[in-house]
Amino acid sequence: MNRTRLFPVRAGMNPAPTHGISGIRMSPAVCSSWFAGALAAALLLCGAGRAAAEISLIANHDHITIDFFYHGSTVSARGVTEPGTDVIIKIAGPDGKETLKEKGKTAAVLWMNVGTLHFDKTPNLYEVYSTRPIEQILTPEEADREVLGYRALGKHLALEPVASAEDREKWVGEFIRFKENSKLYGSSVGAITTEPKDGKQGYYIKTDWPFQAPPGDYTVTAYAVRDGKVIEKIVKPVDVRQVGVVRTLSKMAKNNGALYGLLSIAMALGAGFGVGLIFRKGGGAH
Amino acid sequence: MYLYLPVALTSINVLIPVGLGLAVGLLSGLFGVGGGFLMTPLLIMFGIPATVAAATDSNQIVAASTSGTYAHWRVGNVDFKMGWHLLIGGFVGGLLGVQGIKYLHAMGNADFVIKMTYVLMLGGVGTYMFIESIQSMRKKTAEKTEDKPDSAFTRFLKSLPLQTEYTKSDVTHSMLVPILFGGFVGILAAVMGVGGGFLMVPVMVYILRMPMHVVVGTSLFQILFNCIEVTFLQAYTNHSVDFILAVLLLLGSTVGAQVGAVFGRKLKGEQLKVILASIVLAVTIKIVFDLTLTPSLLLAQAGGH
Repeated sequence: MNRTRLFPVRAGMNPAPTHGISGIRMSPAVCSSWFAGALAAALLLCGAGRAAAEISLIANHDHITIDFFYHGSTVSARGVTEPGTDVIIKIAGPDGKETLKEKGKTAAVLWMNVGTLHFDKTPNLYEVYSTRPIEQILTPEEADREVLGYRALGKHLALEPVASAEDREKWVGEFIRFKENSKLYGSSVGAITTEPKDGKQGYYIKTDWPFQAPPGDYTVTAYAVRDGKVIEKIVKPVDVRQVGVVRTLSKMAKNNGALYGLLSIAMALGAGFGVGLIFRKGGGAH
Repeated sequence: MYLYLPVALTSINVLIPVGLGLAVGLLSGLFGVGGGFLMTPLLIMFGIPATVAAATDSNQIVAASTSGTYAHWRVGNVDFKMGWHLLIGGFVGGLLGVQGIKYLHAMGNADFVIKMTYVLMLGGVGTYMFIESIQSMRKKTAEKTEDKPDSAFTRFLKSLPLQTEYTKSDVTHSMLVPILFGGFVGILAAVMGVGGGFLMVPVMVYILRMPMHVVVGTSLFQILFNCIEVTFLQAYTNHSVDFILAVLLLLGSTVGAQVGAVFGRKLKGEQLKVILASIVLAVTIKIVFDLTLTPSLLLAQAGGH
């Protein structure tokens, strides 16, 4: 447990706005920040009435579209906090359920599926970045409350059947490893860069949005942390939607399986026959 | 170039499925197998969910086997009558096999039984075919004409009613023989979740005594119909066929099947059998390794082999 995937520290990264990255269509980020500044001048301001706001957050987009050529995206977040606070950024998807095959040894030497594990309350994307290790800056209770870090996530998840606490811990660890392997879970320290800014502390992070993350409603949350407690958090939605051909095909596969199946078969028959004819005409087939 | 797969919900470099299709399609045209035992694990390795990999592969095989059947039919190497009889058996066997899986799951250790059957079948068939074809290659050079005395099994097959002549294959059998053995392969294929080409080819060669070149064409013909059925059922009940992935795979596999069919004509029956046996044995060894080495991940998605 508590394995961390360390991302390279991107010190001195140019904090230029990351709008317009090729291949991503973005709508203007809707922000609820009082921090406007020059770079945010074009952005909408809303929810500005928070008194004594300790942290601000601007995500580069609130909307990711999956089209035919989609190969993941990037998400960047920036903002300012009071000096001396730590920053945690959590990118997460809604909780879901998952059923997985459990591998174990049978007949002493053979590895194969030996059972089924049902997981519940599993976010389909979970990435946590912090300026320092979470266990050093947050009390366990506070981390649990906000589900920050793998330890807290492990307590948050539900799974069955498990025989004992050790058994549970083992399979939670395996689950996180399984998700890390498909790039859906990550936890790292140091990916957030900070710098002094007009007497405050500016922070910036840019990370890859995995193409493995399915369509859905996600959130980017920024936490300002001091003395073991979250003193403020800001949540920004990021919704991931399919468009165009991708959307049409995936809807049809789900809602009209019979027609979709027939179409797939007809396409395959046509292609097979067509290629056969081409080869015959080509005359090389002797 | 990367394309997004709408059902697999992942993105893939187009060269991967086209290349895989080409390679597996080549085997298909050469040996008359669907190649699912190679394609499905490879797709899973490249991040395609197991259920989508298996379903989409069967869609792709529809195209590859159409292309291959057409190529073999043009040179008169498809025995349609034999193909139909095998199909009737295979269809009934498939239905029985699906019931068999339910029964196995009710008993408990279904995965163990299925995996063991798969390994033993692959290993047994591969070894037998390998030894037999090497022996017959040697024999041919030594003494060309030596009629083997009929074994008890052959005599039994000849005593069955409904004897018919299969002119393309130049053999005479009771209609019941291809139907029964088609059914047997159908049951095993359904239980193991594979197309069963690697079992059907040896059945046709060693039990039905068909010439290898007609075996390949006829096998592709019956695989075509099996895969049409499987594709429809998968699309209808599991929604797991990925259209885009299937298109990418068949771009390679339809061409591969044609090339394989042309190559196959240049090789002797025994040579084809030795190569197919080696591939089947290599896959068996790979599976045995997978079973004995500690896996890197202890959790996996349901489905697949």
